Amino acid sequence: MSNLANKKPPSLVALSTVFVLFWLVVAAFPFLWTMWGSFKVEGDFFSRADWMNAITGPVTERQHGGPFTLDGYRGAWIEQEFWRAVLNTGIVVFFTVVISLTLGTLGGYALARSGFKYTFWLLMAALVFRAMPHVTLVSGYLLPFFQMNIWGYLPTTIIVLVAINQPFTLWMLHSFFLSIPKDLDEAAMVDGCTRFQAFRLAIIPVMWPGVVTTGLFSFLLAYNDFTVTSMLLTQENATMIPKINSFLGSTQEEGKVMYAVAAVVSAIVPLFVLILFFQRQIVSGLTAGAVKG
Amino acid sequence: MARLQLKNVNKRWGSFVGVDNFDLDIADQEFLVLLGPSGCGKSTTMRMIAGLEDVTDGEIWLGDRVVNNLEPKDRDISMVFQSYGLYPNLSVYENIRFPLRVRKVPKEQHHEMVMKAIDMVELNDFMDRRPAELSGGQRQRVALGRAIVRKPTVFLMDEPLSNLDAKLRVSTRAQIKNLQSKLKTTTVYVTHDQIEAMTLADRVVVMNKGKIQQVGTPTDIYDNPANTFVASFIGSPAMNLVEGRLENGVFQGDGIRVEGLPAGSSGNVTLGFRAEDAEIVDGAGEISAPMYSIELLGEASMITWRLGGSLVSIKTNKEYRAEIGDTVNARIPAGICHLFDTASGERIAQ
Ligand SMILES: Nc1ncnc2c1ncn2[C@@H]1O[C@H](COP(=O)(O)OP(=O)(O)O)[C@@H](O)[C@H]1O
Ligand SMILES: [Mg+2]
Repeated sequence: MSNLANKKPPSLVALSTVFVLFWLVVAAFPFLWTMWGSFKVEGDFFSRADWMNAITGPVTERQHGGPFTLDGYRGAWIEQEFWRAVLNTGIVVFFTVVISLTLGTLGGYALARSGFKYTFWLLMAALVFRAMPHVTLVSGYLLPFFQMNIWGYLPTTIIVLVAINQPFTLWMLHSFFLSIPKDLDEAAMVDGCTRFQAFRLAIIPVMWPGVVTTGLFSFLLAYNDFTVTSMLLTQENATMIPKINSFLGSTQEEGKVMYAVAAVVSAIVPLFVLILFFQRQIVSGLTAGAVKG
Repeated sequence: MARLQLKNVNKRWGSFVGVDNFDLDIADQEFLVLLGPSGCGKSTTMRMIAGLEDVTDGEIWLGDRVVNNLEPKDRDISMVFQSYGLYPNLSVYENIRFPLRVRKVPKEQHHEMVMKAIDMVELNDFMDRRPAELSGGQRQRVALGRAIVRKPTVFLMDEPLSNLDAKLRVSTRAQIKNLQSKLKTTTVYVTHDQIEAMTLADRVVVMNKGKIQQVGTPTDIYDNPANTFVASFIGSPAMNLVEGRLENGVFQGDGIRVEGLPAGSSGNVTLGFRAEDAEIVDGAGEISAPMYSIELLGEASMITWRLGGSLVSIKTNKEYRAEIGDTVNARIPAGICHLFDTASGERIAQ
């Protein structure tokens, strides 16, 4: 491989390097900008006088005696109790992922191995519901939820998120299972496994990258969701994204926007950790060939 | 160790018949080969024995009990799959140990049992590798090792050699034969390759379209094929078959006339004989017809005629020379001939 790469003309190598660097900067810039700015006051980060103020921070300097301040974080986390939103998000995300993966692996496995004629149409129908804008589904839920007096609670939201997400999880895991030869289950059963043991001991270990990848998608859906959580949760049960939105909605109050910026940065960090942690499984899950023996 | 009996076993999917009234008694320690063309129901039969496929009708007996309703794990069999079915996330050692683990064999015995199996299939140098890091032949041996690591009552092997190249197939075939004679375990082996069947089997079951065509020792089915299907499937080259009429012990076909056959029956018959039993002659012979082709096989030459609708071939020495279209004669003694009823394909008793 490296031989081949060495033979490429230097101009091409230079060009592609420049392109990759450019792309990196473009991709990373908004995040770096926001992170840098989150340690400033509103007067700097949203400065009308000079955009360079966001970098140098003269107003921050004047108000706090240094170019950086933790005011945004303090306000968001302590004063506005952003930790509560983090906790709520944690609960919602955890249960959404666990429930949809459990149902998804069992259901996907059953569909992949059943040979049932209508499997394809079943999955197709599921996908149609997944494709609908979430808001069309949620507005339908509102009234019954009010009447049943279950509006505003975390479990309700978890159930709705699982329902919205399940078709996709099922579909994705189903195709992962299809790529695992049936011989593997059968070998395990002849070797002494029950059907469920074969699933647990022979199939799931091979399926692991697929489960992690699908889990990541479920995670992102629940983590980033705004439509469902903002409409179905009370103020104190709000998750991070609606909470950040509520900070932004109150621009009259000096400094509150900076709470939003600080909260945004706080919300991004776990994603980086997650991707770094599961990087290998995600890559092999996305290149599904890795599943094959 | 056990006797395995299939009593009128049927497999149907809707109106499609996969296996039709399969009836067979397999003795303890026997090496039985199911032979037939692709799609004839061999794998289905084997999978019913393993419990991977439900039996539509009939009974399967393993030892002294009916196993129809037992799960695969409760049948105490082991199986080698065509695509091996190895666990890709486990090492060779752990693959072979897997059956011991799930069957709750006491842990202290694992190492010794696994090492014994690994010795038998000669994988000592590859114990720690994953299946993906092995060649086809080595993977095949892992599958074998996993099958023999515990002492099952029956081995099932579904075309275990079909993914190997020709040379490896010959050596692995010998290894399987050797293993089976050492372990003395009843074995059912599926193949579409008649040479494999002939070399391995104590008894061969020839199948076609879900039905048993003939059961017998390799010599049996080679020397006395029960019908034209078996005759044309066994042997390389397969038996020559020519259609014609039998009258008073004389067979008359297009370009061929054989006298001295049993006079008992008459009518439309198919005459069969093996290429290596007949010989080319200079004088008059039973065949006298223009030659269709001549092929050099190395140790011999193969002369072919076109008689009626069928091609008929005879082996001769490699120095033999003739031009295509020349009339060539051959001697077909009545003693080497087999007679089949043309309509049913069944052998006519002689
Ligand atoms: N699940 C199934 N449903 C319907 N037909 C099947 C099924 N499995 C196998 N068959 C059919 O049964 C016949 C025998 O198959 P098989 O036993 O696999 O043949 P082979 O002798 O090549 O191993 C084939 O025609 C095959 O198409
Ligand atoms: Mg088969």
